[in-house]
Amino acid sequence: MGGERLKIILSLTPPLLIIFTLFFGGIFYGFLQSLGYQPAIGKYEINFSAYYNVMFSERYAKLFWTGLGLNLWVSFASTFLAAVFALFGALAIRKTFFAKTICNFIYSLNLPMPHLVVAVGIIFVFSQSGLLARLASQIGLIGSPGDFPVLVKDKYGLGIILAYIWKEAAFFFIILMSVLQSLGENFEELAQSLGANRWQRFRYVILPLVMPNLFSASIIVFAFSFGAYEVPALLGVIYPQMLPVMAFEFFLNPDLNARSEGMALSIIIAIIVMILVVFYFWLTQAKIRKD
Amino acid sequence: MSKLNIKNLIKSFPSMDRPAVNNVNLDIESGELVAFLGPSGCGKTTILKMITGLFQPDSGDIILDEQSLLKIPTEKRGVVMVFQNYLLFPYMNVNENVGFALKMKGVDKNIIDQKVKEMLELVKLPDIGLRKPKQLSGGQQQRVALARALISNPRILLLDEPLSNLDAHLRDEMRDLIVTIQQKLKVTTIFVTHDQEEAVLLADKIALIFDGELQNFTSPKNYYEKPKNIKAAKFFGGVNFINAKKHNDNLSTNIGTVHYKGENYTDLNEDNIITIRPENIKLSKNNDFNDNSFKGLIKSVIFSGTHTRYKIIVNDLELECSLQSVGLQDIKTDDTIYVHLPSDKIWAMNE
Repeated sequence: MGGERLKIILSLTPPLLIIFTLFFGGIFYGFLQSLGYQPAIGKYEINFSAYYNVMFSERYAKLFWTGLGLNLWVSFASTFLAAVFALFGALAIRKTFFAKTICNFIYSLNLPMPHLVVAVGIIFVFSQSGLLARLASQIGLIGSPGDFPVLVKDKYGLGIILAYIWKEAAFFFIILMSVLQSLGENFEELAQSLGANRWQRFRYVILPLVMPNLFSASIIVFAFSFGAYEVPALLGVIYPQMLPVMAFEFFLNPDLNARSEGMALSIIIAIIVMILVVFYFWLTQAKIRKD
Repeated sequence: MSKLNIKNLIKSFPSMDRPAVNNVNLDIESGELVAFLGPSGCGKTTILKMITGLFQPDSGDIILDEQSLLKIPTEKRGVVMVFQNYLLFPYMNVNENVGFALKMKGVDKNIIDQKVKEMLELVKLPDIGLRKPKQLSGGQQQRVALARALISNPRILLLDEPLSNLDAHLRDEMRDLIVTIQQKLKVTTIFVTHDQEEAVLLADKIALIFDGELQNFTSPKNYYEKPKNIKAAKFFGGVNFINAKKHNDNLSTNIGTVHYKGENYTDLNEDNIITIRPENIKLSKNNDFNDNSFKGLIKSVIFSGTHTRYKIIVNDLELECSLQSVGLQDIKTDDTIYVHLPSDKIWAMNE
């Protein structure tokens, strides 16, 4: 029995060593840096001043809290809207074979597209010098392309939200199509024969049935969009700035002391995402216990 | 209590080379319990779905209490279907499942609670309201599905293979429950099955369907005694078929002239087919019978407990006879025997 256990531990050791060294080692070293421990520049003292500076100092507090607000807004709005678009898209086309094939193809094409490419696409299409602005100007809807509403590089993060919707709706769509196909139409047909109208079938049948998968996918998308750097860097403005961009700028700062702030900001982003994931698991476990 | 008339119903699917439902006509009286019987893929569930409105027929009409249902959406027809796999909503408890139809109608919550209680008592499950579907056995799920269908007082209740997912003893229990509830509520009920025994035990009338076509619609007893054609007779265990011709108010066959008392003689074609159930044939070593008695040879004897089955050759024709084993004459293979086909038990049909 003991020999068997030792065998299991020994066979698990190599992969666990790699995981612990690369993943937890990196996190631990980053955490140490966020506490001010930087031997390379002669800083050995451990304290929370980087966290304090980022969140409460006169210099950074406003940047941090508006950035956090923008982060939450962009992540919630883009996750919610991408899920809604994907849900209605999937419901609209799931019964039509031809549209389903075409849409599946288009969405599948969108999935491997890098976020950076999508962000550039958003600039080409939605900026004031973009395709839509020129088109609207050409057909006389607006006087000149400059009159087109500011959708890219705006302070509300609309361009960033658009890019995430464009990209993540495909992810939601693929998940929803597979869930809807596995569910079939029997539940809806049953509800219909029990007197449920179209809205009631959506509200009381489809939504509760797809919600567990939709919720899981939303957590993944939210966590990603909350911590991602490239799209906000390309489509965002200098103020307010989303937290990952702000963290990266701390790292680019020629003053190496600013690295602690950058790392503190990264740890804060990670903690927020982790709290969210823990909350999600707590919710699902509570539901399993309740059932 | 509602009366249902199905008129010239036709439905085709692109994937099929014949109509799934081909010119079906049926008149179902108020409060009747009717079985749609036939092999898998014969179109019975398709008819059910057209009655609910989930499928639209290509042509024909479905009339409920003198009103065509075709323009009425499913949710307003008052036709409720219980699916084969019950389909209880997994995220709702039993009370919520049963009360679903009333909630959709916007009925007051207190009234829903009261009706749910009544329905669960009706299906003999009064204490499981707070359980989730996955905490229920197959039989309990079936009863909850039935309660959920009945709560809104449907005009027509449709049951798709209601007993097929249950094991033998639960099936007997559920069969009794369906009959009891149906008789109590007098709701016009149609159920789909491929099991001939289930149809006979439950239904007032059986609609036998093959390849989308209605073969016969009559009482279970008639399927045994007066089948409409060979297909119907065979589906209900008929094995004896004799080619016949009309002749002087009787029927002429290659085993001899058969005296016939059936009331359908005038409707018979010149060429027709006689059938008789194995249990209605009588055997005797001496020729004890006055008419319809033919000499034959025992080909095989198979003892099966309460009954013994004989295969008899009569003038190159093979007949099968089943007699109660108790008090049987000593009849063995290769014995010469007289076979009696009682004239009130034989039935002739056009084919």
